[in-house]
Amino acid sequence: MKLRSLLTFTLTLTLGLCAVSAQEQVALQLDLPKPLFVGTPRPIKMANLEVFSHKRPDFMVPAGTVLLSAGKEVTSSDEFPVIGELGFVTDGDKTGMDGSFLEIGPGTQWVQIDLGASSPLAAIVVWHFHSQARVYHDFIVQVSDDKTFKTGVTTLYNTDDDNSSALGAGKDVNYIESNMGRIVDAKGTKARYVRLYSNGNTSNELNHYCEVEVFGTPAK
Amino acid sequence: MSPVWQRWLPLALIACFALGLRVWDLDRRPMHADEANQAVKAGQLLAGQGYTFDPADHHGPTLYYAVLPVAWLRGEHTLAQLSETTVRLVPAIAGTVAVLLLYFLALPLGHRPALLAAAFFTLSPPAVYYSRYFIQESLLLAFALGALFSGMQWWRSGRLGWALAAGVCAGLMQATKASAPLFVLAALAGLAVARPLPPAPAQIRRHLIFSLLMAVFVAGLFYSSFGTHFAGLGAAWDTYTTFGTRLAAGLTGHEKPWWYYFSLFGWRQEGGVITHQLGISLLALSGLVVALFSTKRTLLRGAAGFTVVLVLILSFASYKTPWHVIHLGPGLAILAAGALGAVPERWTQAGNLMAFVVLFTLSSQVKLTSFQRPADERNPYAYVHTSPDILKIRPLADASDGPVRVISEEVWPLPWYWRGLNNVGYWNTVPDDCDGTLVIASAGLAGQVEAKLKGRYTSSFVGLRPGFTLVVFKRQP
Repeated sequence: MKLRSLLTFTLTLTLGLCAVSAQEQVALQLDLPKPLFVGTPRPIKMANLEVFSHKRPDFMVPAGTVLLSAGKEVTSSDEFPVIGELGFVTDGDKTGMDGSFLEIGPGTQWVQIDLGASSPLAAIVVWHFHSQARVYHDFIVQVSDDKTFKTGVTTLYNTDDDNSSALGAGKDVNYIESNMGRIVDAKGTKARYVRLYSNGNTSNELNHYCEVEVFGTPAK
Repeated sequence: MSPVWQRWLPLALIACFALGLRVWDLDRRPMHADEANQAVKAGQLLAGQGYTFDPADHHGPTLYYAVLPVAWLRGEHTLAQLSETTVRLVPAIAGTVAVLLLYFLALPLGHRPALLAAAFFTLSPPAVYYSRYFIQESLLLAFALGALFSGMQWWRSGRLGWALAAGVCAGLMQATKASAPLFVLAALAGLAVARPLPPAPAQIRRHLIFSLLMAVFVAGLFYSSFGTHFAGLGAAWDTYTTFGTRLAAGLTGHEKPWWYYFSLFGWRQEGGVITHQLGISLLALSGLVVALFSTKRTLLRGAAGFTVVLVLILSFASYKTPWHVIHLGPGLAILAAGALGAVPERWTQAGNLMAFVVLFTLSSQVKLTSFQRPADERNPYAYVHTSPDILKIRPLADASDGPVRVISEEVWPLPWYWRGLNNVGYWNTVPDDCDGTLVIASAGLAGQVEAKLKGRYTSSFVGLRPGFTLVVFKRQP
């Protein structure tokens, strides 16, 4: 009888915890810009390239997750952007129209967002450039509490399969840019700085950012 | 300093600068599909495989034959040896010769305005860009300026030699591009507007007949592949019927609004990149006004008539490509120089400042369009240009020791980058057997290709052109 009660109690507790846990997960709500494409990118179904779709499953984040990056300071490997300003990365304007995107130099370049405090991160969403079907090479997302990214670096996404950017080879899928942006799972990693790399794209040698949004739980 | 030095040293400096701008770092920009296609034809001619004129999709023969002496001088004798620099030296040299010819053509305005006209054209953004581009335009322009200069000399001196020289240049124009008659029309319009003194020659009709015969002979020589392919003569005529049919059906693929060329000489902002030619355009407009109200400036009126009629013809035709703007450059340069030449002496300083400002803005635009963003789709001269990504292609094939397959609706400029390789095959549709050590498929066909691949492959992506992506499959051991 005691054993049965114990089992019942354990089961109830587990179900209860699961229920609470499920309640804590909510779909990430994104404010998507209007599509700038005429038509849809040709569907490519490859091992290394994601199938393009106008729909994607909800991305679940813990309840209480908020946008942490709005208006936060942005630095870059290219201190003098070719077009736009570094502030465009976190200014909330992701339309992709002229005057709303950042263009930085050729080759491997990065932009870095300082969230102001180390927080558990849920998702990082990036819109590189979405007025044309193109793939950005060696797209890498790293987070750290070290401003210089020399210690405590966690790589969340990496498409550099041949390690041409010398940050380690990655196996994540390439994707065609669209107005839907790319959601990178931050898996609750705690960090203050978010750094995004790219190495040109299939249209030109330059690197672009319309917007980057970092979601997480505010530091207490 | 002696007057000779004062006269020739500035011109020599301008010519050297023009050549430097046109040859510097010639192989940096990836090959455009049209350049690649023509370079392969030139390479086949160089390798002794001959040349026959194709009226369907190609222009005249001079460009290919002009590659030969340059390639020989650089020690290149096969398609595999032929380089981007070698083929692009041809338009670069022609573009420099055009600068010199423009100086001599503008001399009736005076030495200083002629130098200014040459300087303006030296720094004309489309002239620099398309003089570094392996297509026919700068060659056609040089021959057209040669014909105009020779014609002008004949008109003044009455010497048969100049009439024959004009005929040779006209023949070379026709052998370069079928659009040559448009320039003759524009030149006649310029002549009508210029109203020069009667010509010096006593035997005008005889000279004109000799000139025409010379033009026909020279053009015939090239179109018949120097007497080895007489069917080329008929094919040269077929160009007009073929193009006329496509033009009437609106099938050229280059249809644009009437104001397209005006936009290239005005102000454009695309994707944050600003390109303009406002300075030279405003100055040329001033020159046009001077030409209209001056009865003395014959050359200025002629340049105005030639340029306006050419603009009208090009704008009226629905077929428009940006490289045609190179032909408007000399007229605008002469008109701009004429405007500054008309500035009263007491405002000389202001005129000098204006010339400096225009030259400065032109040079900044040359830097942007020819050197900083030569293949950027926001550059109005980089027309449907190949992505720099394509430069990754050759090392991939070099590292491949087995068959290489390209399965794509569009393949150029890949055959140029893989010239000299014997293990490459091209398919427009998906074949039954897709396997190879390296398989390149267009994004549209990649799914079907992958379904037919046997064995283990990795895939990566290379841009052929903005918006056109290739999928690269590499077979794994």
